[in-house]
Amino acid sequence: MSVVKKKKRVSKKNKKAWGKYSDIRDVEEFLEDQRLEERLGKFETKPDSELFVVDTAGDNEPEKKEDGEETKPLSRKLQKRAKLKEVPKCFEVLLPTSKVQDPNAKRNKVNPIGSKPTALSKLTHQRQAKKGVLEKKLVEAKKNRKMAIDKKRKAKQVRQNFSLDLWGGDLPEVKGIPSTLVDEFISPEAQLHNVLPTQRLRPKPPLAKTVVTRAAVETPHPGVSYNPSYKEHQELLQQVGAHEEKMMKKEAHLMRVTTGMFRRVTQQEKENQWREEMSAGLPQPHNPAEDPDSDTDNEYKAINPPVKNKKKDHKARRKQKEQLAEKERLKRQKIDKKKITDLYKLRQLKSTIKTREQKQSEERSKRAEKRAAAEATALPTLSAHKTPIKEPDFVDPKQLSGDLRNIKSTTNLLRDRFESLQRRGALAASKIMMKKKRKLKSYFKPGHKVTEKDIEKYVTKSAGKKRS
Amino acid sequence: MVSKKKKKYSSGEGAQFMTRKAALKKLQLSLKDFRRICILKGIYPREPRNRKRAQKGAGGIKTLYHTKDIKFLLHEPIIWKLRELKVYQQKIRRARAMREYKQMKKYLRDHPQINIDHIVKERYPTFVDALRDLDDCLTLCFLFSTFPSLKKVPRDQSMLCRRLTVEFMHAVIAAKALRKVFVSIKGYYYQVELEGQTITWIVPHHFSFQPQSKDEVDFKIMSTFVDFYTMMLGFVNFKLYHSLNLVYPPKLTAAFSADTDKDLIDEHVYVAERIAAMNMSLSKVAGANEAEDLPEIDIFNTEDEDPQKLEEAKLEAEKVKKLKTMFKGLKFFINREVPREPLVFIIRCFGGEVSWDRDHFVGATFDESDESIAYHIVDRPSMDKQYLSRYYVQPQWVFDSVNARTLLPINQYLMGAVLPPHLSPFVDKTKDQVYIPPEERALNDPDFKPLDGNESGTDIEEASDEDKDDEEEEDSEEDGDAEAALAKQYQQEVEEDSTSDEDDSVDPEKKKLAKEKKKAMAVTAGVPHKEHPYQKEIEDKQAFRLREKLVRKKHRNLYKSMKAGQEKRKKEIWLLRKKRRLHDEKVKEEKKVEKRKQKVQALEASA
Repeated sequence: MSVVKKKKRVSKKNKKAWGKYSDIRDVEEFLEDQRLEERLGKFETKPDSELFVVDTAGDNEPEKKEDGEETKPLSRKLQKRAKLKEVPKCFEVLLPTSKVQDPNAKRNKVNPIGSKPTALSKLTHQRQAKKGVLEKKLVEAKKNRKMAIDKKRKAKQVRQNFSLDLWGGDLPEVKGIPSTLVDEFISPEAQLHNVLPTQRLRPKPPLAKTVVTRAAVETPHPGVSYNPSYKEHQELLQQVGAHEEKMMKKEAHLMRVTTGMFRRVTQQEKENQWREEMSAGLPQPHNPAEDPDSDTDNEYKAINPPVKNKKKDHKARRKQKEQLAEKERLKRQKIDKKKITDLYKLRQLKSTIKTREQKQSEERSKRAEKRAAAEATALPTLSAHKTPIKEPDFVDPKQLSGDLRNIKSTTNLLRDRFESLQRRGALAASKIMMKKKRKLKSYFKPGHKVTEKDIEKYVTKSAGKKRS
Repeated sequence: MVSKKKKKYSSGEGAQFMTRKAALKKLQLSLKDFRRICILKGIYPREPRNRKRAQKGAGGIKTLYHTKDIKFLLHEPIIWKLRELKVYQQKIRRARAMREYKQMKKYLRDHPQINIDHIVKERYPTFVDALRDLDDCLTLCFLFSTFPSLKKVPRDQSMLCRRLTVEFMHAVIAAKALRKVFVSIKGYYYQVELEGQTITWIVPHHFSFQPQSKDEVDFKIMSTFVDFYTMMLGFVNFKLYHSLNLVYPPKLTAAFSADTDKDLIDEHVYVAERIAAMNMSLSKVAGANEAEDLPEIDIFNTEDEDPQKLEEAKLEAEKVKKLKTMFKGLKFFINREVPREPLVFIIRCFGGEVSWDRDHFVGATFDESDESIAYHIVDRPSMDKQYLSRYYVQPQWVFDSVNARTLLPINQYLMGAVLPPHLSPFVDKTKDQVYIPPEERALNDPDFKPLDGNESGTDIEEASDEDKDDEEEEDSEEDGDAEAALAKQYQQEVEEDSTSDEDDSVDPEKKKLAKEKKKAMAVTAGVPHKEHPYQKEIEDKQAFRLREKLVRKKHRNLYKSMKAGQEKRKKEIWLLRKKRRLHDEKVKEEKKVEKRKQKVQALEASA
């Protein structure tokens, strides 16, 4: 290891460098002493009585004294009382240990927040109020309190009062001031300073087409008038009838496809079927009359007799080959012939292709049109439940009185609105789940059960008591 | 290096959509709160193009939302309010469970309310946007204003709805914006025109409350909708009142003073009741100009200059102007059995004055005995005490007059009369190529005069044919209504005048002579160049044919079929008209014969 030689000349350019290479311990010691003196008081100024104690007793005197005290120990209670006067240990840290004088000689005493006003302070307050001191403060406090209450009340009545021009130009939101900064305590400069660079971070996505395009209140059919003309009412009835017929047809179809699919079976037949199915594969009791092979002799016959691999001879193979070749040749010939005839048929072919294409395109366009029309009125499927179809408002001709006094309405307007919202796609179709009422099962606690036997017992007992 | 494999459904339709459950998780809201915020913010579930892909391969039908929609909701400050509200609810629940009812009551009293006016502003950036979407709002508010307090509906909601709807009706009255009315079995359809937007809504008939069955409608959802709509309607009302120079909240004019029974009732309630009566005009802002009529339509040279369309628009404007002051200066009295509110609303919309029985509803301004009442609206077959100074009409007259845009003749609507059908004003008038029977045409178009008129009309004609005096007396006795009698008198006078003119020319021969002499004396004037009256038409037709030739080959067939259809429909109309004419003539002839026969019989009987 190389010994680091002490440098002879070092830089003492700045304070740090000074401290590093010069011995300042004595200075620091002195300063420390001074600080200590400041805290604990000057050594010279202290009287001798504080510094020294005159030892008047001998070596064994104090022990005696201690013994004497031990003979009279303080009771618990007294000990506690004595401790009450002491400052608790935990708070000792908080007390000033320094002897440094308070630089402010006349410090005001401040009561901690939350302490009750003393009787004296109350008196002074009254005196001050009478004099008019602090009057402004009081007025201001009153005003502030009122303002706070008003604000609270205003916030509560927000849905009752509409005293604001929402689409006017003087709204803070129009200027882009965030709503958190709209307060009377915040200066307009600060508000304007905090205007966001863009009004909204995320624009609202456009609404669904069905919500936008479909009318909220559809124009009514003229036949739903309370006093309709005959023709219009008949038209409406026709519509309703057609609708009803359609529904009936649908229902009939469903019936046919589900319940009607299964044939009806009587109880007896069902029983028989069950018996047959259950006993399938089981050995049947031997019935010689039913046995079909009874007439033949008892020769053994396999169900599937073994197959013999009979080889074809050369001749047969040749014939087969020749037949195949001939078949192929004829096919080719036919195709060649068709090629030639097709040349002559070209115009006809062209026209057939053309007509077919035209027909197809027409059908395609028709289909597209139909699909577009269906889409325009299609009910949105937003949930597993089906959106209710709009049913025409039916007016029973018997109920049409023709005057305003005897109007009878069968439609539920609220339901109509609800379903309209669903049809427009603003709500997903739903079924209300009714809460089931909990069925309470009633039962007797075993100990509270009263059986016939108990009654008998009771009766006999009471009877016995009466007798005695 | 192989790039990382892309996860399925991390882009495209699979990433675009989000199930409701995922949305709930993302927003950390309960389903109830989510529903509420969706309704308030106008976020609706979406229908995907390919459901399988949108549901990330899952089967079935799930309620899907756009991811962008949910992200948009994420920025809403109300979400924090909802979460705070949840904590608040927990506090209330805790207080109840701990039986600290005092605390619970305090919580309930100070229940925080969510302020949603910024949402109204956000959803409807301009006032016109709000007006455009007012249909649903008005229908629901009018409906909820009839509800009592229900379990799922806040207690004050129906009252608030009532207040706002009445305010809106006052605004419509002040703006004279009502255009169409239709009374259906469902309710009253009203259509108003505000700031160029047509708003249609339904007001239910005034029945006593019908209980709603629980499993049909989710009241909670509807109530949330109404929550938003009341907010919107409130601000719309405010804006409308300010644009109409009215004081908002509405106040009655200073001229209105109630000394008679003011001491009995709380003043605030008293004023609110008068306002709900809709019988008096509201006070205007001080210094506002009176009677600010819209100027006539300016004519701009637009690109598609169509003089016919312009003319139509002008006519329409003229009609609307007439409609606005249709009932001006007329006094109406509404009998007890007539639904008060719709009629008052309609009549006041067109400048009429209305009153009703003092015991029927508050706010009656004049009594039944007032002699200046012009129309008494009655819906009963007869009345004991009738005033000669007024017409007793059925309420349908008011509705039909509004739709016809003029005061219809009342003879068909008099008390006890069998009413003509109430036709819908909402029918599409573009389908003009259909046969309309003359009765209906007369209803739609008051200027149209049917060729043969109604029965009383035919009677008059016949009377003019045969000897007048006796017949007319009989007729007037039969009809008994003042109007018809007046009409007949007028007719008679006119006819008498005409006959007297004829009587003046006593000597026909002298006259003839004078005429001949005059002719001989006369100077023959030069014949001015007379244009052929049909020349222009012929030229026009030729030009039209030339233009027809210019129709492109592509559209030629369509054009032809259109023309053929027009011809066909024209022919049909013509045929039906002819049929009707022949039928009417036949009926008339038969009637005449019948009457003659009766007369002969009467003569024979007297002889």
